[in-house]
Amino acid sequence: MKKSDIKSDIKSTKKKKGAGTAAAYLWSAPSLLLICLIVVFPIFYTGYISLTNMNVYHWFTYDLIGLDNYKEALLVFDSGFLSALFLTVVWTAVNMLLQLVAAYLLASLLNTKGLKLRNCYRTLLIFPWAMPGYVSILLWKTGMFNSQFGLLNQWMEKMGFSPVKWLADDMSAFICCTIVNLWLALPFMITIIDGALQSVDRSYYESALLDGADWMQRTWYITIPAIRPIIAPSVVITIFTTFKQFDVIYLLTQQAGAKTGAHIHTILTYAYENAFITNNYGYSSAVSMIIFVILIVFSYGINMKPKEES
Amino acid sequence: MKHRKRKQQVKLAVVNLVLMLVCIVTFVPILYAFSVSINEQNSLLSSDFSFIPKEVTLENYRKVFTEEPVVLWFRNSLFLAVSTVMISLGTGIPAAYIFSRRRFPGRNAILQMLILLYAFPSLLSMTALYKLLSPMGLINTKTGLIIVYTGTMAVFALWNMKGYFDTIPIEIEEAAMIDGASPLQIVRRIVLPLAKPTVAVTAMMVLIYVWNEYIFAINFMTGENTYTLAAGLYSLQANETSGSWPVFSAASLLVSLPILVIFFAMQKNMASGLTSGGVKG
Repeated sequence: MKKSDIKSDIKSTKKKKGAGTAAAYLWSAPSLLLICLIVVFPIFYTGYISLTNMNVYHWFTYDLIGLDNYKEALLVFDSGFLSALFLTVVWTAVNMLLQLVAAYLLASLLNTKGLKLRNCYRTLLIFPWAMPGYVSILLWKTGMFNSQFGLLNQWMEKMGFSPVKWLADDMSAFICCTIVNLWLALPFMITIIDGALQSVDRSYYESALLDGADWMQRTWYITIPAIRPIIAPSVVITIFTTFKQFDVIYLLTQQAGAKTGAHIHTILTYAYENAFITNNYGYSSAVSMIIFVILIVFSYGINMKPKEES
Repeated sequence: MKHRKRKQQVKLAVVNLVLMLVCIVTFVPILYAFSVSINEQNSLLSSDFSFIPKEVTLENYRKVFTEEPVVLWFRNSLFLAVSTVMISLGTGIPAAYIFSRRRFPGRNAILQMLILLYAFPSLLSMTALYKLLSPMGLINTKTGLIIVYTGTMAVFALWNMKGYFDTIPIEIEEAAMIDGASPLQIVRRIVLPLAKPTVAVTAMMVLIYVWNEYIFAINFMTGENTYTLAAGLYSLQANETSGSWPVFSAASLLVSLPILVIFFAMQKNMASGLTSGGVKG
């Protein structure tokens, strides 16, 4: 083979590679362009708005005001962002704890030896997952918690108590939101833990039983270590969705014009209220950017790198 | 031995009892809504309240169709959902396939970036999206909503299907290529049939997202005629009175029905179509 042949050969493979790259981008262009337009660009734009005083009076004629919005969110305690952030952390912790314990207990019950109706119970327990989320929340709000004709107050009255305004103060509203969120989220968790439990090798339990280990010991030393790696990704994802929860709190306590009196805010409802109810777009965008940074730091912290088979 | 069997039976009975109780408690809100929706007396405020209606009527369901523009909302939702699913799959499948099979400069960087973007709730950039769409005249149009929905779900669609494509062995495609099949033929005849579960699940997730999305719909659309089912229901309950609650509960249950059917029909595919993808949720 002549030298020039080799050279042209290299050239052609290079060309081929370049053509391959171009083709790859061409085929994925529609999807990537959509993502750029609807996801990437708005994030940068939000970053830009966060540096301005855009609000309902300055919708077109806003000015750059530097980092003032960030200062207000992070340094002024009264602005409400820090307390919303604190409440979001508490909300996530409480919900995750309750969810994991309840889902574990129910999944264990489902895995009781000789349970004939297992599939029937499973289907029934999954049901809330299949309902549209906002419908369920609104049904809870009007059907259960409504102070005049909600079921809880009908029962209260029947038992001779006076009706309670369930969503009117912070503490009870928080509890109501937690109950609804639990109702919505448990089916997913039960499914995940149930699947994980079924993969645990039975022989471990048999030898543990021979050694006289009780239920607590078996749970602590065999089941939990065995299912932890399996459920970990789903738990991480649920932590994220709980942290980013908006619908439950917004729909139950603070729809436009229908505030129930409770004043609980997660960071997302806080950002939303500042954007679309008090129309303070610049400030709300600053809050959005801070939330984004928190979420990025989080995902790096727990190293949620997607597994890629290669 | 007998003693042990006895103990086992008692244990099973207790487990059954607990699970039954939990199931009943789970269903209380839905059953109550159902009971209200078929209650003849409309006696929500009266003192002789009972969970099970004494007289049954379908009047509230009739009202859903006659007094509220539910049929129109349903059409809007269906149109948005079908268009969004089609565009999501049309743009998502080629991209997911390319990202799964080819190695090209920028690929890893883009994949990493998409993961970060996935963490960003689209709700937070709503102001920017509004500012972006309104000069294009896309506010208060279905096209605008479709673009927002497809864009929001595009990251999920790409990652989820790419993850599944990764699990399909490449050898089958190589064999087809040796037999002289063109890349398009390979995708259509070999990859897509194998990837049915993930395509179906992705389509379902997009559909459910559009069906349930209300916050963009109420902020970007004005006027009852353009509402989707979710936005319409939201507006129905917003003027919450004891009179409209039976109609609302009837409408809620009707709206949930298609999603329930799809969900339980797809349940078998769920595990394989969702869990093998890179990003879950």
